[in-house]
Amino acid sequence: MVWLSGGMFAIACLMILSLLAFVLWQGLWTLWPRNYSIYSRNDGSILGGELYSKQSIDGQDKLYLRTGNYDISSRHFAYVSSLELSDETPWTDPDLWLVERKEWGNLYGFPKDLSWTKSAPEEFAKHVALGLQETSKIDRQLAVAKDQLKRTDHQIAQARLGVRRVELAEKVDLQNAVETGSVEGLSELAKRAIERLAERNLRADEAMIQINEQIAELEAKRSERSIVFELPIGQELGKLDADWSELSAGKLKDASGFATLLGIESDDNGAGISEQQISVKQVGKGHLLCKVQRQNEPVRRLSIRRLADNSASVSTLQEHSILLADVVRFFPPNKLGFLERLGIYASRWWEFLSGDPREAGMEGGFFPAIWGTVVMTIIMSMAVIPFGVLAALYMREYAKSGWLLSVIRISINNLAGVPSIVYGVFGLSFFCYIVGGYIDGGPRKAGFTPWPSPVWFSALAGLAILGLASFAVSVLSGQAETRRSPFRATLRWAGGLLWLATLAGIVWLLIRSPHFEGFYQAQLPNPTFGKGCLLWAALTLALLTLPVVIVATEEALSAVPNSLREGSYACGAGKWQTIHRIVLPYARPGIITGFILAMARGAGEVAPMMLVGAIPLATELPLDGEFPFLHGSRSFMHLGFQIYSLGFQSQNSEAAKPMVFTATLLLLAIVTLLNQTAIWLRARLRKRFETSQF
Amino acid sequence: MNRLKAIADGQTFESVIHPEVLSREPVVAIKDFSLFYGRKQALYNISMPIVKGLVTALVGPSGCGKSTLLRSVNRMNDLVESVRIEGDMLLNGDSIFAPSVDVIELRKRMGMVFQKPNPFPMSIFENVVYPLRIDGQRDKTLLNQVCEQSLRGAALWDEVKDRLHESGLSLSGGQQQRLCIARAIASDPEVLLLDEPCSALDPIATGKIEDLIDRLRGEYSILIVTHNMQQASRISDHTAFMYLGRLVEMAETSTIFTRPTLSETEDYVTGRFG
Ligand SMILES: Nc1ncnc2c1ncn2[C@@H]1O[C@H](COP(=O)(O)OP(=O)(O)OP(=O)(O)O)[C@@H](O)[C@H]1O
Ligand SMILES: [Mg+2]
Repeated sequence: MVWLSGGMFAIACLMILSLLAFVLWQGLWTLWPRNYSIYSRNDGSILGGELYSKQSIDGQDKLYLRTGNYDISSRHFAYVSSLELSDETPWTDPDLWLVERKEWGNLYGFPKDLSWTKSAPEEFAKHVALGLQETSKIDRQLAVAKDQLKRTDHQIAQARLGVRRVELAEKVDLQNAVETGSVEGLSELAKRAIERLAERNLRADEAMIQINEQIAELEAKRSERSIVFELPIGQELGKLDADWSELSAGKLKDASGFATLLGIESDDNGAGISEQQISVKQVGKGHLLCKVQRQNEPVRRLSIRRLADNSASVSTLQEHSILLADVVRFFPPNKLGFLERLGIYASRWWEFLSGDPREAGMEGGFFPAIWGTVVMTIIMSMAVIPFGVLAALYMREYAKSGWLLSVIRISINNLAGVPSIVYGVFGLSFFCYIVGGYIDGGPRKAGFTPWPSPVWFSALAGLAILGLASFAVSVLSGQAETRRSPFRATLRWAGGLLWLATLAGIVWLLIRSPHFEGFYQAQLPNPTFGKGCLLWAALTLALLTLPVVIVATEEALSAVPNSLREGSYACGAGKWQTIHRIVLPYARPGIITGFILAMARGAGEVAPMMLVGAIPLATELPLDGEFPFLHGSRSFMHLGFQIYSLGFQSQNSEAAKPMVFTATLLLLAIVTLLNQTAIWLRARLRKRFETSQF
Repeated sequence: MNRLKAIADGQTFESVIHPEVLSREPVVAIKDFSLFYGRKQALYNISMPIVKGLVTALVGPSGCGKSTLLRSVNRMNDLVESVRIEGDMLLNGDSIFAPSVDVIELRKRMGMVFQKPNPFPMSIFENVVYPLRIDGQRDKTLLNQVCEQSLRGAALWDEVKDRLHESGLSLSGGQQQRLCIARAIASDPEVLLLDEPCSALDPIATGKIEDLIDRLRGEYSILIVTHNMQQASRISDHTAFMYLGRLVEMAETSTIFTRPTLSETEDYVTGRFG
């Protein structure tokens, strides 16, 4: 038995550890800058990429390469088997550059020329860095201009909404008036709204011309500077009349053969290319890369492959030009020392944590997702804490124990085990469609038929009487706590029931009201709150974590020794005084623990998020510097959902895999951090009670 | 022994209360008091005075209802859901169980100390002034004054005066119990109820508490439950012997321990049964 249980324990530990190690390894490794290796294939062609992983299957190695150059090869990653390679040791060319771009992902190639300056290849890095400072300035100006454009659009939309509101309020059709501009016979309000729209339109037209001009100008400036690269992809030039074995030994019998192939004119001395100007590097058994470096000319690279008859075929490398402004990061990966790699690694992590996504989230940062998760979790906590703590307080301190309470307690425990997608479905159908629809467009939009006005008003009067009655009853039964009498106890029950009935009546009247048309009717049919958004996501999660909070709080409360409560009562304290001076402070560590566990659970929950508001790419943050700062009706990005959508929903999920691991690591880190904080906080608060200062 | 057997059989029984007890002015007068936990009766028609300014000890075998009686005086039994009572008690002439009585106000007129020390999870200072705090007292000088007075009264001042703002839980068991006594006397109560205050303490701490009770005599009227006959004889002026929910005999302590009226009392206090 010892062996069996011990073995099981060991297996469990192993599984958990290997999961952690796997995520940690994959997540940490993804952003590390690797060498760019060029492999030569049996057919003589070459394939280059950053080696991401290598698996041995059936005596052959499977290499997983990040090939980049998506705009040319239309793939980011490639699998290649070692059987296809003529040589498994790759060639790592020190002159090769990696350029991380704002669009199209990574580019790997040999820089050939800078369009804006003549400079030696050694100086390229310096010039690019200098140039980037200027282009980033242009980009900032562009962003400002585009922001202005957006604001103008927003103002027009706002003015249109104003007109629509008047239409709704006065039940008139202003479409015609808006188009023709004639406001004869319309109300003062309508006139004002239409004039306002016209004025906004006019102003916007002027501004728009100006801004668009500015944008065009900036765009033009932006595309002025470009870098020409030679990519490690060949374009056949022709056959070289030379023997392969001599070529690969670095000997050239006839440099003029090259010159002819390349179409190079003789220089003043009458020679084409001299042997010294050509350096040859063996890439694989059947492949050479050669560099032609003539004075006052950019370096040219050629790819030479061996043909069946032992002669060689020459290709120029394909040229590709990219805009300087699209460059995010550039460096020669094969030339880097450890510290430089570390620097790039750190800067990539920084971008990952604080930057915006690029390439539909496959590159760049996760900041919006992190931010969305954090904001949503905080709102969720603010919703769940008061509810959970008060409910637990009622169950533990006020309610009389009995079968009803046991049933409720068991149900709450079961609720904690309900699959989260169920909450998602509930959130979508209740919060988004019913509550959200009600807020947007009143009862009708939420699917309720309003009552006719007279009926509604008589119901309102009835409700008022009911409310007064419950108030009177509670006043009569007041102080029941200090004085015992069966009559008062009954009265208290009746009071409670009456209050419940009043509450139900209020809700009923609200959903049957003929006088409420929603706060966002003018925006319809575009939903404002009647769709997945931050608020509903937070409330759904609050519902989901409510059992966790209630159970933890109840446990914390029941751990408060009864002797403390008795001591307090004996001092003449009332129920509430005892609770808030003795019970709650004593239970606080436990309550906080439960709260953080709930937060950790909520932060990692994905399934309901898919239904109630998380989207793969949001242009706006749910909490930003724009009035009213917190935008409850916005959809948002969520870390857990991001992992799902990147890994399984994006067009190129294979390519997104490394990013998925990094995001997983981040999510794991956040959840672990929350849990650790809970444990630490609990220990600290406990200690405080036991010994140290207050 | 036959009287005890009669009690066990449920026959009616007349308590013996010596006239020297009845002749003094009571602070609490228990009048024909019975108490039921649900259907189970725990106290049977108890009538007895607790004399002003003296220490009254309640003794009796385990489960005879001493704690129940003590907790009835400040109506702590109200917290038990199934409790029902008959009869009444008077605190300085005011009824304790009349429906119009505000329990909270009533409890403020008494101090209570439990078997196990139960200091609150707050500083020593806050522990002592807790009864004033719940009355909303904020006057710093008054609180300081009450704190010092009560701690001196509980013979704890010298030991804690430099660490008033440390947690009450950092004290030793005996100190904690004296802290609870300080808390109980902070609101200047009319009666002090002590339920086996020394049973969780070592002999030295017990000695200190006993000295303290001795010092409080005269100033406060004290009702103390104890299992320790020596303790009862050392510290109390009056002793009441209870058995199975009845008061058997009550007299001056010296009388109970040397020449009680009933042989059963003598058997119990000399340790021949119980
Ligand atoms: N909360 C309660 N509910 C039901 N019965 C109770 C409760 N408290 C006490 N009793 C019963 O009332 C009787 C008297 O109990 P009580 O605690 O007053 O005895 P005691 O004399 O203080 O005993 P001890 O010396 O062991 O403390 C016992 O039979 C006990 O079982
Ligand atoms: Mg007891």
